[in-house]
Amino acid sequence: MVKYILKRIGAMLLTLFLIMTLSFWIIRLMPMSIFENPATPPDIQKLLMAEMHLDKPLFVQYLYFIKGVVTEAEFGTSVQIRPGMDVFEILASRIPPTVLLNIMSLLISIPLGIVFGTIAALKRNKATDNIISFLIVICISVPSFVFASVLQYVFTFKIPIFPTLYDTQAATFAGTMHSLLLPIIALALGPMATIARYLRGELIETLSSEYLLLARTKGLTRTQATVRHAFRNSLVPIANTIIPLITGIMGGSLVIEKMFAVPGMGGLLIDSIMAGDHFLTVSLLIFYSTISLITILIVDISYGIIDPRIRVGGGK
Amino acid sequence: MAINPNETVLKVEDLRISFKAYGGMVQAVRGVSFDLKRGETVAIVGESGSGKSVSIKAIMGILAPNAVIESGRIEYDGMDLTKVSEEDFHKIRGNRIGLIFQDPLSALNPIMKIGKQITEVLHLSKKISSEEAKHRALELMHAVGIPEAERRFNQYPFQFSGGMRQRIVIAIALAGDPEILICDEPTTALDVTVQAKILELINKIKEERHLSVIFITHDLGVVANMADRVNVMYAGKIVESGTSEEIFFEPAHPYTWALLSSMPDLQTKERLLAIPGTPPNMIYPPAGDAFAARNKYAMKIDFEKEPPSFKLSDTHYASTWLLHPKAPKVDLPDVLRARIERMKGAK
Repeated sequence: MVKYILKRIGAMLLTLFLIMTLSFWIIRLMPMSIFENPATPPDIQKLLMAEMHLDKPLFVQYLYFIKGVVTEAEFGTSVQIRPGMDVFEILASRIPPTVLLNIMSLLISIPLGIVFGTIAALKRNKATDNIISFLIVICISVPSFVFASVLQYVFTFKIPIFPTLYDTQAATFAGTMHSLLLPIIALALGPMATIARYLRGELIETLSSEYLLLARTKGLTRTQATVRHAFRNSLVPIANTIIPLITGIMGGSLVIEKMFAVPGMGGLLIDSIMAGDHFLTVSLLIFYSTISLITILIVDISYGIIDPRIRVGGGK
Repeated sequence: MAINPNETVLKVEDLRISFKAYGGMVQAVRGVSFDLKRGETVAIVGESGSGKSVSIKAIMGILAPNAVIESGRIEYDGMDLTKVSEEDFHKIRGNRIGLIFQDPLSALNPIMKIGKQITEVLHLSKKISSEEAKHRALELMHAVGIPEAERRFNQYPFQFSGGMRQRIVIAIALAGDPEILICDEPTTALDVTVQAKILELINKIKEERHLSVIFITHDLGVVANMADRVNVMYAGKIVESGTSEEIFFEPAHPYTWALLSSMPDLQTKERLLAIPGTPPNMIYPPAGDAFAARNKYAMKIDFEKEPPSFKLSDTHYASTWLLHPKAPKVDLPDVLRARIERMKGAK
């Protein structure tokens, strides 16, 4: 198992390096000067460019970039959004709201998805299942920003019980959550429905499997057999859907953050691309990739925990 | 345990089971009656779709949700199993009646340790500590012939071969200490060499534990080794029943003849005889004898009226118009007669 995890981490670092290289070249080859501020005197501009190695060929700049990242975890300096500020510091100030939003959406969508999926599978083809399945289709097919608009309209305008925008001044965690609840719900509905739909299908298949029949001939009641033998087996394929869910939530979060004025990474990414703040854009891309890669790593490891065939079979 | 050889443990009477399907009701079992006496092995033989497995599932109370028991009784220990509620049935399953599945590859939970799948049953039947459960599970694993049980205990099904998995399935069936063991084609999914060992094992544990066994198969060769009595099933009905000797040496129903002729033996040199045609559509079961359309001895009445059960001896019954006093005398097929002569000679 340890060997398996180490192998996965190694592959992950290699992927990360490739992503860094790719995003550096793609962003830096864009036809936009990185350092264009008419307010700065030309000789100072020259000095700054020399300090940031911007006067050297792009390949040499790439080597400096890699060296900075590997040796001192130094991603560069922002030149447009917050001139002169270390990119890492800007990120650090923007990460908490985004992470809070994304994690809360996941934490809500996974358990609820599991609950609804299980209910639908157990009540297969009955009224309960039909209602849940109908709602699932709606939640999957409608994009999160539509839910966001509807929620905003209903709960901040018609029935004003939530603030329209994210409250940056909230003193307590509860206050923050109060203003973040609508975007969280808007983001969570889609993933929740995806999980419910997959789990329903998987569970129905496991429930009609031979080993569940054997479990019942052992003398287990239907409930015991379902909980002990069907449930965990259905979770193995579900783990697979978590990866696209998380990237989906992050992608949706870009738009949702704008709509609710959440001062997170999403808005920052759009701003930095528009402003041509290349160092910032590259580091944001790397940040998003890292999150995705970590998710994939966690899911891969959890496979091994859920399914012994991967743990034992793959290791030796 | 005192064994009274004539005590009937399980009695199935006029069982009729249908399945709701899109085209109508599929009449899978159409009036099956048989009984099981203590300590004997009763075989139910028939081709796919003849209703063997469905009858067994009714006895275990694990029929699919779209199955309907239309009539009949399954008498066991003063109860009628067709009327027992799901809540009470799980006390009978495993504890009193055990089942060995057809396909050991899919019958075990792939992500649960072998040991736990066995001890689970032990914990259900009585309150015991986990050490004691483990000890008993290891004993069971030894009893069904698993080497290195201690190490195997913590392994998963995918680390076992097919034959070993079937042994585990048997151990699970035995763990509840049942008095009736139902084997639903236990060797169909296995290699021929492994088959013989599993059959031997079933016979051995049957003797040791004084079990009464219902053995489902389509393989008459297996029946000859295992069964005291045989029921031949076709299109949801038992068409012939008798002791093994009677079925093998004095078969009376043309379907039994066909089954026996289609089975190769070591002397077979000719082309193997296949039974022509396919079993009838059970949504619209044919009037008369269901086998008539595939039966070269069929008479006009076979297509019109269902044959009654004719008594040949106290134990031997067959439902075919050929046994009617007015029916023309039909001799056994030559292949079969020659084979029976050989078998009698060998005996």
